[in-house]
Amino acid sequence: MYSEFSKGIFKENPIFIILLGLCPALAVSTQVVNALGMGAGVIFVLLGSEIFISLLKDFIPERIRIPSFIVIIASFVTVVDLVMQAYAPSLSRNLGVFVQLIVVNCIILGRAEAFASKRKLAESLLDALGMGVGFTLALLLISAIREILGSGTITLLAVGRFDGVILIPGLSSQPARVLALAPGALLVIGFLKALFNWLGMRKASRTVWKLEKMSAAGAPATGAPAGAGGAS
Amino acid sequence: MAEAKSAKLIQWQLPMKRVLYGLIPAVIASIYFFGWRSLVILAIVNVTGFLTEFIFLRRGKEPVTSAVFVSNFILALSLPPTIPYWMAALGAVVGILFGKMAFGGFGKNVFNPAMVGRAFLYISFGGQLTASWANPFVGFPGGFARYGAVAADIIGQATPLSQLAKGVQTPWLQLILGNISGSMGETSAVLLILGGLYIVWKKAAAWQIVVGGFCGFLVAQTVFWLTGLSLAGNPLYALFAGSFIFGVFFVITEPVSASQATNPGRWIYGIFFGIVVVVIRSFSAWPAAVMFATLLANMFAPLLDYLIKQRRQKRKAT
Repeated sequence: MYSEFSKGIFKENPIFIILLGLCPALAVSTQVVNALGMGAGVIFVLLGSEIFISLLKDFIPERIRIPSFIVIIASFVTVVDLVMQAYAPSLSRNLGVFVQLIVVNCIILGRAEAFASKRKLAESLLDALGMGVGFTLALLLISAIREILGSGTITLLAVGRFDGVILIPGLSSQPARVLALAPGALLVIGFLKALFNWLGMRKASRTVWKLEKMSAAGAPATGAPAGAGGAS
Repeated sequence: MAEAKSAKLIQWQLPMKRVLYGLIPAVIASIYFFGWRSLVILAIVNVTGFLTEFIFLRRGKEPVTSAVFVSNFILALSLPPTIPYWMAALGAVVGILFGKMAFGGFGKNVFNPAMVGRAFLYISFGGQLTASWANPFVGFPGGFARYGAVAADIIGQATPLSQLAKGVQTPWLQLILGNISGSMGETSAVLLILGGLYIVWKKAAAWQIVVGGFCGFLVAQTVFWLTGLSLAGNPLYALFAGSFIFGVFFVITEPVSASQATNPGRWIYGIFFGIVVVVIRSFSAWPAAVMFATLLANMFAPLLDYLIKQRRQKRKAT
């Protein structure tokens, strides 16, 4: 059961592994605070819509399921949009149209279609949480790289006297501006994807190597020394 | 491990060595015009670029190919002589790491690593890359007796291309000899052509690409000039001002990222490059034409190779 939650964070991370929701990830990842806001919005919408769709799956006719999903998702997006406008107007301005565009975000529709419409409530709930958290973490990683290197700052929520902007000494005077611009988003996501693919490949080859070692240890003595010598 | 240690540190390839020989005149010219600082920048870029590839190849388990030095030379020579040292080093790291090693190392890079590094610097640090040119040293001993431009020489000195936009023409002789402001290695047209002809003669660069590049450039520039569109004016002037000659001989012909599989591919690739340079120079707000045109042409090279090969196969089949 726990794996339904954790798969969204690593094994099936929406941005880096199944490549869903790239459009908002590219557009809003200029500042860390945007990533936080967008992530919170997506988690809420995912949770709400997956719960509702999972509950209603037996009552929605097969043929009109997609429009029905959209209606459910759009209701939750409207809630997020209005709440954000009321309580975090600056964040709402930063995110702009991408809050409304959560309606057509492929993560949400994709999970609704592929998961919630077929599974039980509890599983859908965990899946929504995992996917949402995975999306948020990925967005945080991208935006942190882009903002720290591209602007030399970390922008968080303004609380009290703290205006929310942390300047990084040395970098804020002469940042690598390209990362803050649009091409930077594509570059960062592309190379992070390459990095995760490489890590995955390495992990896979290590597991194979471990299995071979285990079988070598279990095998007659002639095979073992050669394998051990090669490894060290 | 013993096996790995006995492997060579650097794998020298003949065509790459020849490109380096061809670049030597440009290096000497850059020292003469801009002082010994340009040699220091060249050294810094080479060392950082080499170390980047060395570390990425698991610290010597595979030999570093000599192509890395070609990329480093081209990157260094395409930078302005006043560039801060750390910036040059950063360009080398980005170019080799993200332009080449991330794609799988030598032989697999889609883009010219030197231009990837330069594009990164150009977009990130616009001020240093576009508005801090230096006046060249002249006479004997010129830059051979100086380290680098002093502050008075640096401030906003315009290049011949940017001057032209204001209606000022640089004398022809200056343009051809190269005592003009510009990137370190791209000012002396005569020496670049000499080095370029050497690498074309030795087949380190495909002549179809070079000739195609010149044709595309001259035709497009003439058409633009006659229709009164272009700011760059007279096609011959435009040819010698800026970095086109450097680009067409040394940058665009980089064997891995160029379209190298077929002769028609080479022609189309070169001509495309020439035309795009003119278009970018005339219309873009970011007039680093040779750099962006190289990256753009690189992007289409695999597609060109693929389409031409496929067409040939179809023809054979019928």
